[in-house]
Order: sequence, then structure tokens, then C-alpha cells
Amino acid sequence: MTAAGHAAAAPQAKRRLPARERALFAAIALLAVVMVSYPVVLVFLRSISTGDIGSPLTLEWLSALVDSGRSREALINTAIYTAGSSSLAMILGVGLSFLAARTDMPGSRILGLMAMMPILVPPFILVVGWVALADPNAGLINIAASALAGPRTVLVNINTMPGLIWMTGLFLTPYVYLLVAAGFRNCDPAMEEAARVSGASRLRLLTTVILPLQRPALLAALLLVVIMSAGDFIIPSTVGLKARIYMLPSLIWQNESSFPQRPGLAAAQSMLLVVIGLVCIYFQRRALQRGGRYTLVAGKGANVSQFALGRLRYPLTALAFLFALCSSVLPILAVGCMAFMRFWAPYAMKLENVTLRHFHYMLFEYPQVWPSARHSLLLGVLGASLCVLLALALCWYMVRMRGRFAGLVQYAMVIPLGVPGIALGVGILSFWILVPGGIYGTLWILLLAYVTAHIPVAIQFVGSALHRIHTDLEEASRISGRSLIGTIRRIDLPLMRPALIGCWLLIYVVILREISLVILLYNPSTIVLSVGLMDVWGSGFYPELAVYSLLLMVLGLIPVALLSRYAQFSAD
Amino acid sequence: MADLQHLATGTEASSVAVKGLTKGYGPGGVVRALNEFTLDFPAGECTVLLGPSGCGKTTVLRSIAGLLPPDQGRIEIGSDIVFDAATGVLAPPEKRRLGMVFQSYALWPHLSIADNIGYPLAAANLPKQAIQARTEAMLEWIGLVGMGGRFVHELSGGQQQRVSLGRALVGNPRAVLFDEPLSNLDARLRERMRLELLALRQRAPFTSIYVTHDQLEAMTLGDRVVVMRAGTIEQVGTPEDVYKRPRTRFTADFMGIPNLVDGVVRASLPDGAVVETVLGPLRTRGWRGGWADGDRCTVAVRPTLLSISAGESDGARPGRVIRSVFQGTSTIHVIDMAGTELTLESFSEERHADGAAISVAPVPGAVFALLDD
Repeated sequence: MTAAGHAAAAPQAKRRLPARERALFAAIALLAVVMVSYPVVLVFLRSISTGDIGSPLTLEWLSALVDSGRSREALINTAIYTAGSSSLAMILGVGLSFLAARTDMPGSRILGLMAMMPILVPPFILVVGWVALADPNAGLINIAASALAGPRTVLVNINTMPGLIWMTGLFLTPYVYLLVAAGFRNCDPAMEEAARVSGASRLRLLTTVILPLQRPALLAALLLVVIMSAGDFIIPSTVGLKARIYMLPSLIWQNESSFPQRPGLAAAQSMLLVVIGLVCIYFQRRALQRGGRYTLVAGKGANVSQFALGRLRYPLTALAFLFALCSSVLPILAVGCMAFMRFWAPYAMKLENVTLRHFHYMLFEYPQVWPSARHSLLLGVLGASLCVLLALALCWYMVRMRGRFAGLVQYAMVIPLGVPGIALGVGILSFWILVPGGIYGTLWILLLAYVTAHIPVAIQFVGSALHRIHTDLEEASRISGRSLIGTIRRIDLPLMRPALIGCWLLIYVVILREISLVILLYNPSTIVLSVGLMDVWGSGFYPELAVYSLLLMVLGLIPVALLSRYAQFSAD
Repeated sequence: MADLQHLATGTEASSVAVKGLTKGYGPGGVVRALNEFTLDFPAGECTVLLGPSGCGKTTVLRSIAGLLPPDQGRIEIGSDIVFDAATGVLAPPEKRRLGMVFQSYALWPHLSIADNIGYPLAAANLPKQAIQARTEAMLEWIGLVGMGGRFVHELSGGQQQRVSLGRALVGNPRAVLFDEPLSNLDARLRERMRLELLALRQRAPFTSIYVTHDQLEAMTLGDRVVVMRAGTIEQVGTPEDVYKRPRTRFTADFMGIPNLVDGVVRASLPDGAVVETVLGPLRTRGWRGGWADGDRCTVAVRPTLLSISAGESDGARPGRVIRSVFQGTSTIHVIDMAGTELTLESFSEERHADGAAISVAPVPGAVFALLDD
């Protein structure tokens, strides 16, 4: 058949096909916008309704935020906790990244890797590990201290506000490191040389050129950790509740699920977190965009001068490695140690108490473990894949089609970054309980929650990968006779593969450990690993908890170990 | 070389016809990138679209390729209508059976050189053996035998250029489109690739449409040169025509003629006129007729068509040197002729001091370009 015959036979179809494609993509884009924004609307509606949505409006819940004694207490605690752990994370993150990138510290490469490790380690490991290390009764550090300084010496106590801040600070440090280290590495040496030639001392150089140039990155990192600590669920609802230190996220959970239920108050508290998160994310985005002003000829980091630490070289190195150890290696070792002990008590620390029975019990007898593992793996694989696919469609729509709603999608995708998981959970729950015969109570609502929460990260990965592909490469393929779909398959997907795999792995790992998002959405038939962990925590039997959290970590790391060499993890 | 028969014979080479092509940008398409562009590209010929950036040459090329939907007009390749605004036909690029060489080469970094070249054949679902045989033949044809297993980043710029050409030609295209393929290369390599392209053209008479802003490329590679300006055609002709007889001030300027001299028609001739100027009477040739004695006109004076000598001489007009610049094979003199500043290029070793009195005359037998405007 000649092309002329072809063209003459179906002129209309040819003209309309692109239009239909555009409409399809626009519909996907709008659905995605709805998906990420309705939970916020629902949280707001529920916080001003006396009962379910549709009932008379009231300001009772919003005023209860400060009127109710416990809520007020939680507000204050959350503020202290957020300020403390954000500061700690900033000090550690900026300090470690500066030491690793700009000084003559030995082993800076290893330090860099170790600083990033907590991202791969589920926060639950950190919690269980630090309980094992610093429990006032049975913590290893206190046992050691008692052996040295006499019985019942409590050197460190994890069940206190400083203890909570300590864990959260360690957990957030890699995120600061991630945002700041690249900036330190990519300094323009000429700018610094200019300052030195102008007569600036090393210290002056640091305070007048190097740090000010990183201001946008520092601000962005600070706002990120503020959002993450204010909305953090796992530490407040485990060690925090045990220590009776109430915070907003843990109180939201209690108000939603324990007697007496007060969903209106939970929604009001969520609303507060949403507002804080969205304000922070707005300023964070602005800081990152303004960062463009400061972005210098990147990637020329080879010649940046190194600060000599002098006499402080080895003490600072030791300190840096100690912090890095505290956030990953020590907790993992402590959890590992705990998992093999018959009991977890000071008097049980003997070799004859080493046992494998907890492994046997958790892996083969504990009824919840395999159903929850199955659910978690299914949701992890499905959720990560869906996120990547949806992000591909959305990025194609925004970057290549430059669709009409591209800007809208871009704005909407900021929402899940600012809304803490527990608040997102409240929003999703509030909607789906209204839909009879809907997905409430099924695995699908969990899947929806995961996709909603993680689609922005996927878009960042996929978008930057797509931006890097020159359109000439696609056009050359079209001219060579491949259709659009064929071109995407043969050219775009292979070129983006490392970024797609990296994105998939990251989301998979995060889904596996995610608790706050699903703690309000699961039911006994859809339990997942991370929620199962909360049950075991409730039972208070630590060795079993240790086994369970190790299982969570291993399941999360298997695909990472298998696939990471094909992956690329940086989002730009 | 049986596998590349089509290159030697040009069996598939088709003509391309563009009629009334219009493309607007901005709100309501008010900014016309292309305005009623009409041109036939004959089969087996190389047509060069020449013009400054923003003249619409790339818009024409991308419209023919199918990478850009025009607003109005019609495009035919051979006997196929690939675009017709009136009936709503718009064939996608993959249905047009064209080859294209990109400015960036657009080679795929994840595929081997052989896979890059064989890509159009694979897209056409040819059997594996045929793909391999033709890819091998193409590698030989472009002088890269044995490099099929390498990857793009292992090749030099010139080699990448050849791979890009091989990919464009391997699939028996009806026409090959070149989008400023040499402008990414450094000056020396550009010179060499230009000659290589010329040699290829002589070996294989494929229909080529070549976009460039470099007049030297246009001269050497084009069977026909199309000078474009602001979305329309300024002049079409053989390279010699466009070079020697620019029709307008714009073309003259773009073809590198700095001297536009005002004059008065002395005697009208069938193909031009004798024009009285500050350089004396000049024999000119132009495109439009109807010149009458006494008409004011403009003559494009190429710097190499003037000769300079010291002092006064017979039949030459006196002038003064403003400055002379020695530049190797020739010397550029900027001179003042009765208040008109002119540029003159001389190939003799003779130099003149700044401010020296000289005389200037046309080179014997010189014919100058009489402009329409």
C-alpha cells in the first residue's frame, strides 16, 4: 500500500489521533491533581464538621486544639521536638557534609556513604536499636555504665524528650547531608580564590563566601527536616507514647482509633500539620528555585581547596565517625544482638541465653508475619511500579506535550511533600468511609495511599531523566520509521532506565517501612509488615520485635542489593 | 554492495513539493515563521535553504519531516500527500520514509554504532540477516568498517557525523534532510566534512534538502540555493546565480558583499544596464528588466572585482586609503571614494599607507550585480 493511499483513506483519523492522545493525557493529569488534593480538602471539611462530613459546621474542634489540655500539651511537645531534632539534624548534616567534602579529613568517602546509610535503614531499626542501647533498665550503654560505676546507673535514657530528639535528629541527618553536600562539592574554586586573593582568611572565606553561597540549600534542608520532624509518626507513637510524651501525630492516631474516638479533633490536629507542612514546602520550593541564582558552573569540583583541620583532624574524624555509627551501624548491631537473646533484661546478658527461637517463632509460628509480608511485598512492588508508570505519563504530558494543565500538576504535586503521612491518611480515610462499597478496608486503599504519597518523588526522578533526553534523539527515531510508542519503548525507556530503576527502588523501600500513612487505613485482613511491627511493639517483647524489624529491613534491601548497580539514585 | 543499490541508482529518490506553507507562533499565530512558502525540490538534487536564524528555513525542514505541523499549505513527497491543511491529512514522521541528519547528530548513546545505523531497518521489520548485511555495507560505505560494535562516545566528532549520515541513508529514504549538520564541528573538521559530503553526493544522487546559514556550505553542496528571509523566499537559483547575481540588498549582504553602491542607469541592456557610479560606469546584470536611462539603482560590488593602484591612472577613479589589513593570501583595503566608503580585496603584495592617494577601477571584464531594490 502506498503512503498516498493510506493518507487519503484516513485523513480524519490522522488528524484526530494526536487530539485524542492529548485528551487522554490531560485526563490522567487532572485525575492525578484530584488524587493528591482531595485529602487536604477532606481534612479541612472534617475539622469543621460536628460529626461526619455533611453534618452541621462547628469551630469546636479547631478551638479544642488549644482548649483540650492534652492537645495543648501535644502542641508544645511537638514544637520542642521539631525544633530540637531539626537543629540536631542540621548541625550533624551540615557538619558531616562539610567535613567530608571540604576538609582533609581521612576516610571522607566512607564517611559520605555512612552518612547516607540511615536512608536505607528503616527508622524502626533505629528505634529498636536505640531502645536496646539506651533503655534505662536494659540498655547496653546503661548496663556497661552500671558495670563500671555501680549498679543501676542510668547514663542515658531514651524515654525522654532528649532521647526522642536524639533518634529523630540522627534519622533526619542524611536528608540534610543529601541537600547540602552537593553544593559544597560543586563550589566554584575561582570564587573562593578571588576571596583569598582579596585578603580573606580561611575562616572569613567560610563565613563570607562558602556558607552564604549555600544559603538556599541550607534553608531548603532546614524546611525539609522541619516538615519531616513535625509530621514524624513512628518515634512519637512508639517511644514517645511509652514515655507519655504526647505529640500531634501520635494524638491524631489515638483520636482516630482508640476509645473515645474524636475524629473531628484528629482532623483539626491534622489540619494544623497540613498548614505547617504546606507553608514550609512553599518556602522550601522558593529557596530551591532561588538557588538557581547561586548555581555556579557545576561539576568542576576537582579543584576546590581543602581546609586543613590541623590538630583537630583526628578528634573531629573520630567524632564524625561516631555520629555516623550512631545512626546506622550501632542500632543495627544492637538489634541483631537483641534478636538472639532469650530475654531482654540486664540479668539475661549471658552467652547461655543466646537462642534462635525468636527467629523460629517469628518466621514460622507467628500468624501475622507472612500475610503481612505478602501484603507489603505486593503493595511495595505494585505501588512503586504504579508510581513510576504514572510519573512517566505525567512527565510526558508536562515536559513533551506541554499540556494545558502542566502548571497545575506541578503545583498540585507539591501537596504530598508537605502533608505528613498521618494527615494524608486522615484525608483519604475521611473520603473513602463516605463511599459505600468503595475501596475502604481493602488493599487497594493502601495502594492508593502509597501512590498518592510518593508520586511527587517519582515525578522528580522521571522528570529530570526525561529532561535530559534531547528531543533530537526521539525525532531521529520517528524519522527512522518508529511510531511514538515505539520510540518511547526503544529510545526513551532504555535511556531513562537507570533513573527509573533508582526511583522504583527508593519508593519500594519507603513503602515497605511506611507506617503513618497506613496506620489508619489498614484492617486486620490487610495488615502490612510495618503495622505488624506496631502490634509487636505493643506486646513489649523486644527480641521478637528485633527479629521482625530485621525481617523488614532485609525484605527492603533485597531488591536494592539485586538492582542497585543498574540504578541511578540522584534526582538530577 | 548489492545491499546499498539504492544509493548508487537513487531509485527511491523522490521529488518534494511544498505549496503555500504557513506557520505562525505566539497567540493566534500572529508571528509568522513561514509565510506562503512554495517550492519544488526536484528528485536527486540537493537544494540548500540558506538564511540567517529565524528566517524559517528550519521550519520548512521540520514541516517536511513531519516534526512540526504547519498551519496552512500542502506537502507532497513523490506522489504522496503527507500534509494538506485543506483535507486534514497529516502523516506522522515515521510514515514519510525520509532520512534526517541532525545538528546534534542525535545518535543514541545506549545503542552500538551498528544498531544506530540499522535502526531504520529494524523499524521497518526487516529480517535480521538483511539488517546485518545492509548495516555492514553501510559501515563500509561510510568508511567505518569494523567499528559497528563500538558506542557513540568512543567515536570522534567526524565519525559520529558519518554514522548519522549512514543512519539517514540506510533505509532507502525518499529524501534526506540535513539540519545544519556541520555547524557543531570546528572549522577544520567542518571543511573536511563538507568535502566528504560533496563526494558522497557525487556517489549517490539522493534527494537532499539542506539547511544552513553558511554560504560556503550552500555554494559547494547545493545544486540549487534558496535564500530565505522572514519566512519567505528571497531568491532561488544555482549557487553561481545567487553568488554572482544577488537579486536584493538582503541577498547581496548575506552572500558577503559589503559594497552596495548607488548609481544612475546610463544605458539599458537586455539583461541589465550600464550604471554610472563613483567607480565610473559599471557593466551590470540584473533580474528585472524595464530599466530606463536616468533611473536610480543600487549595484552590489564584490570586493574582489575591483583593482587598486597607487597614485592616479587612466580610466580609474581617485580615492584615498582609510586603512589596509593584511590577512594572509589577500589584503583588505577600506577606501574612501568621494565620500563613499568601500571595501576592496587585493591579492597582490602591494600595500598602501593609511591616507595614501590611490585609484580604483573595475577588474577588466567584470560584470556587477544590479539589484532589484
